[in-house]
Amino acid sequence: MIWVTLAILIGLLALAVPVAATLGVLGLALAEIYARLPLSLAMGEIAWATSNNFLLVAIPFFVLLGEILLRSGMAERMYGALVLWMPWLPGGLMHSNVAACAMFAATSGSSVATAATIGTVAMSEIEKRGYSERLFLGTIAAGGTLGILIPPSINMIVYGVLTETSIPKLYLAGIIPGLVLAGMFSLTVLLFCLWRPEWGGTRTVATWDARVKALPDLVPPLVIFLAVIGSIYAGWATATESAALGVLAALGVAASRRRLTLRALLQAFEGTMRTTAMIMAILVAAYFLNFVITSIGLTTQVNRFITSLGLSPTELLVAVIAFYVVLGMFMETLSMMVATVPIIAPIMFQAGYDPIWFGILVILLMETAMITPPVGINLYVVQGLRKRGRIDDVIIGTLPFVATLVLMMVVLAVFPDIALVLPRAAAN
Amino acid sequence: MDRLSALSRRVSRWGLWFGGALVLLAAIVIGIDVLMRKFLAASIGGADELAGYALAIGTAWGLGAALLDRAHIRIDSLYVHFAPALRIALDLAGLALFLAFFGLVAWHGIGVAGQSWTAGSRSQSALETPIVVPQVVWLAGLAVFLASGILLFAQALAAALAGRAGEAVRLAGTRSAEEEVEEEIRDLQERAAREAGR
Repeated sequence: MIWVTLAILIGLLALAVPVAATLGVLGLALAEIYARLPLSLAMGEIAWATSNNFLLVAIPFFVLLGEILLRSGMAERMYGALVLWMPWLPGGLMHSNVAACAMFAATSGSSVATAATIGTVAMSEIEKRGYSERLFLGTIAAGGTLGILIPPSINMIVYGVLTETSIPKLYLAGIIPGLVLAGMFSLTVLLFCLWRPEWGGTRTVATWDARVKALPDLVPPLVIFLAVIGSIYAGWATATESAALGVLAALGVAASRRRLTLRALLQAFEGTMRTTAMIMAILVAAYFLNFVITSIGLTTQVNRFITSLGLSPTELLVAVIAFYVVLGMFMETLSMMVATVPIIAPIMFQAGYDPIWFGILVILLMETAMITPPVGINLYVVQGLRKRGRIDDVIIGTLPFVATLVLMMVVLAVFPDIALVLPRAAAN
Repeated sequence: MDRLSALSRRVSRWGLWFGGALVLLAAIVIGIDVLMRKFLAASIGGADELAGYALAIGTAWGLGAALLDRAHIRIDSLYVHFAPALRIALDLAGLALFLAFFGLVAWHGIGVAGQSWTAGSRSQSALETPIVVPQVVWLAGLAVFLASGILLFAQALAAALAGRAGEAVRLAGTRSAEEEVEEEIRDLQERAAREAGR
């Protein structure tokens, strides 16, 4: 049963059948082959229940929030302010890139949006100041991945829904690892620029006067972060409700900059619903597939198979990481999570791993998947913004940060408390 | 045929606006509800339920545009190495499977809505919404999506059979990552140009 499932799944995906159709057809095929009851009768009920799941409403909210912010000009001003504050380290603006990504990540639930937004703003600076182009591009592609680790995060919502884990706790758990990872990205830049000072470009000087004047530009991201994350921990709002508050805050930011036109709003609607429909199509199919997989006892079989391998928890962890790193080279992250987490997560929980902690590990693995070739969406985004040269430059420039991400997973495994200390503190 | 396809594109765009407006409305109602709960100790009640309907309806009405804009994710690591003719065949097969799956979903969805109708089911909230109402709007979205999908399939098939490979690819092929990013950049540049002009 396991091998038939894998064969159909891999076969359809390799033939470029849309992911949603792959998962749905796989569900239908498994129901046809292995089920004694006509499971497909439940399709309508499952599709409807998934489609109006209140937890998932957070997804269009966050996409809409991002679409509105994109058109508000907030990112340009934020980057401008960070450029004035950050360039004293060897590596100069590359640290501003990481910081801007981390800060934007605190308002955005998506890594692609983070890399695209910061990349657009930063790209013109490469030549002006003589940076190593590759490393500079790497800071944007890798820094952008912070989008899903620093809350809010669409991928955490999907993980939370799939594994029935508290989304607010996942958000809390992402904060310290997000800051640590941003620090480690910066450290990576620093080490390279100490080794090869010519990569670090010329330093800029900013007067204190200009710095202080730029400070108000850092306020809007803070407002949105407080609206989304603050409202959850003040006990005002649930995860979905806080996303709604984020949309209101984003409308406020756009309106205060006089960017809230009907045209902008309609464009935001188009982008939002296209993305939402794409994600929901996959989720609807995945829910049906999971229902079939559970009904025909496949989950139990996989569990038995893994148990029969007699792996220790550590070996199991290493195997899971290796599995995701390899799969992540070829698969888009949301599809990968939806297809694998419902099966792998229960195995990890049974082996004694904490659901919140494993959630953060999965997010780190998804970040890695976004910057590992040949299929790494952030690599494409950065190359697309650059419009010249070969994508190999982006890939090579990003490789050091892949190593940083793997190191971060080791840090998370050795010190699980960096993820767990905040959720624990909140519980008390 | 051309007029039909223009209509289907227009309707799919309206679908996006309709769904987007519902989602924005849901966000506003929920936001007000949270603030009212906090500061006035009152609640609108049922805002979460309505937001759920907005998601279901918005999704169904957005599926068509996502399909026409080729936004549904396909893994193209191997695909890009295939011969053009095979690729077009796979495009058509993938499209057919996608439509077949959601056709079945819609078919069983009719059963679900029929049951809500005959049983007169209402939501278990203060709103007591007759569930059949949002379900019918949801199903209508799925039906429109299927209609535009079948039209798209017919057009792509006709183009492929007539040897107009380029057209078939534009209709049903994968959007290469570059193409996707190009579009996004065009968007950003337009914005920059507009800003420079103001």
